[in-house]
Amino acid sequence: MGDLFSKEYKFNQRINFCLVRGMEMLQYTIRRLIGMIPIIFLISVVVFTLAKLMPGDALSGKIDPLNSDPEYIEEMREQMGLNDPIPVQYVRWMSGVVQGDFGDSFVHKRPVMELIGDRLPNTIILGISALLITYLLAFLMGRYSGRFAYSMGDYLISAFNYLALAIPSFVAALVAIYVFAINLGWVPASGSIGSGVEAGTLEYYLSKAKHTVLPAIVLGAMATAAYTQFLRNDMIESSRKDYVRTARAKGTKESAIYNKHILRNSIIPIVTLLGFDIANLFGGAIITETIFTYPGIGYLFVESVNARDYSVMMAIAMMLTILTLIGNLVADLLYGLVDPRIRLS
Amino acid sequence: MEPSISQQTSPGLTEPVKPPKSQSPWALARRKFLRNKAAMISLVFLLLVCAMSILAEPLTMPVEETAKINLTQMSKEPSADHYFGTDKSGRDVFARTLHGGKTSLLLAFSITLAVITIGTLVGATAGYFGGWVDNALMRFTDFMMNFPFLLFVIVLKSIFIESSTGTLIFVISVLSWTGTARLVRSKVMAEKENEYIMSAVSIGCSAPKTIFKHLLPNVMSTIIVQATITLAAMIVAETGLSFLGFGVPINIPTWGNMLQEARSPDVLTSKWWIWIPPAAVLTFTILSINFIGEGLKDAFNPKSNR
Repeated sequence: MGDLFSKEYKFNQRINFCLVRGMEMLQYTIRRLIGMIPIIFLISVVVFTLAKLMPGDALSGKIDPLNSDPEYIEEMREQMGLNDPIPVQYVRWMSGVVQGDFGDSFVHKRPVMELIGDRLPNTIILGISALLITYLLAFLMGRYSGRFAYSMGDYLISAFNYLALAIPSFVAALVAIYVFAINLGWVPASGSIGSGVEAGTLEYYLSKAKHTVLPAIVLGAMATAAYTQFLRNDMIESSRKDYVRTARAKGTKESAIYNKHILRNSIIPIVTLLGFDIANLFGGAIITETIFTYPGIGYLFVESVNARDYSVMMAIAMMLTILTLIGNLVADLLYGLVDPRIRLS
Repeated sequence: MEPSISQQTSPGLTEPVKPPKSQSPWALARRKFLRNKAAMISLVFLLLVCAMSILAEPLTMPVEETAKINLTQMSKEPSADHYFGTDKSGRDVFARTLHGGKTSLLLAFSITLAVITIGTLVGATAGYFGGWVDNALMRFTDFMMNFPFLLFVIVLKSIFIESSTGTLIFVISVLSWTGTARLVRSKVMAEKENEYIMSAVSIGCSAPKTIFKHLLPNVMSTIIVQATITLAAMIVAETGLSFLGFGVPINIPTWGNMLQEARSPDVLTSKWWIWIPPAAVLTFTILSINFIGEGLKDAFNPKSNR
């Protein structure tokens, strides 16, 4: 019989736990994904209905604008299937969607998926940079605030948090453009790439980074407050726990106590906020991208609503709603991952 | 020893001398709130902003005149005539900021009222009845929660051709009551297990009476705090939508519509007085509402002692 405290036994125990937990999570994920199917179906009905309720129809963008002969218009309508009963139109649209075909954009005269494929990388770059900035800033500020709670620096950080929570993102974006792009001239105020820059060169990536940094900071810095507060409070709470007292009693240096013992325990719960942020970032990007005229999904969405480019609009609405669903699932999974006591059911 | 059931059962009604009465939770909360400096300063500021917005007309000019384009007064810097200068169409920025505040705040308050009412009704019904009612209502709430807010407000908004402030209130409310409903439901579910609710039911109180007379007053503190948070969020939502051009019609001054002018590089670069005033008032209003919300949360929390 193995010693209960032997390394081998502990290791086996751990592997065993991970395996059981992994299976449990996999089962849970599959169950949730299957549960999503009817919801996605309902959402598609809502999106399609809303698009049909909108004034004007897909036709206006597709026919010869100079030819207003009613017979010609009627013929085109018939040809595009716009005279079919609504359920038939829905089934046609949906069967395309299931195969990943959202139809053609009437404004850009290209398949919607191609158009979104062009813009999506920009939004993803922006989202990931913003997320990195959020985590970095929140980590630094939260760590400081948690360690030196009720100090001058802590108050300054909490003042920043209050301000960041209060300033609407578009006001922050305007101020940022005013200060950094116009007065200081450090970065360009709009677009995602300089003109006449060849793709693939170093210059291209530099230009891209330069265009992304300001919107990313605006998106990222405004979201830090929740994380900072979370980390700070968790660190303060942890600092009263027994293991910290033990570490102190052993004579561990104060910096080591905070940076090693407490931080490691406090940093984990923050990860759970990530799930909700995935969808938030894309949704929040609508305003930021529009102000910076940054060619991502959010800006494309605003353009498509303004131009009544329904197929694009429906595609983006579907995509972001499904993303929200997935974000919620990720959040729940992360909860389970971080805290083994939570039963996934 | 005889257990004496004294007259204490109806204190303060018949006795000439009132027995020392412990303060009601509301009085305690009020005292705590009054002692909270940040919250009180914020409250005064918010009331000031509200008062100036309501009195926009006597203080400056009627709404119709704020829309009048005055070609002789284009883009004037702040002066004694125009405290905040004039915008690109020669309209007085000060007057527009006040009138804008009226629209923005009125909208935010109306939406908050609608959101809290719908959310409370749905949440209280689901939480009180439980069972299949709860199941159905919460399924629906969860479903509504899946729709990304900004995206679907824009979609819904563009369905209505004649966009008015009414449609905006409707569209935003429809998409934002879910959080309140969930919160109220969880509070009601916890509260209804108390004995006073059971006794109310056992003496034959009808369900609506139990909910409105006994349950809701006891979850009111949560609802009030939620309302302040919602109010701040709704000001942001309205101004953000107006800024993007999907909110209030452009001819009505609101803080969001005024900020829309800053989208032209010329205004943003060299005519700061056109966009800084609405931006600053907007930010400080939200800041003050946040502080008030924190103060209320703190005041209603029996565990906190300031």
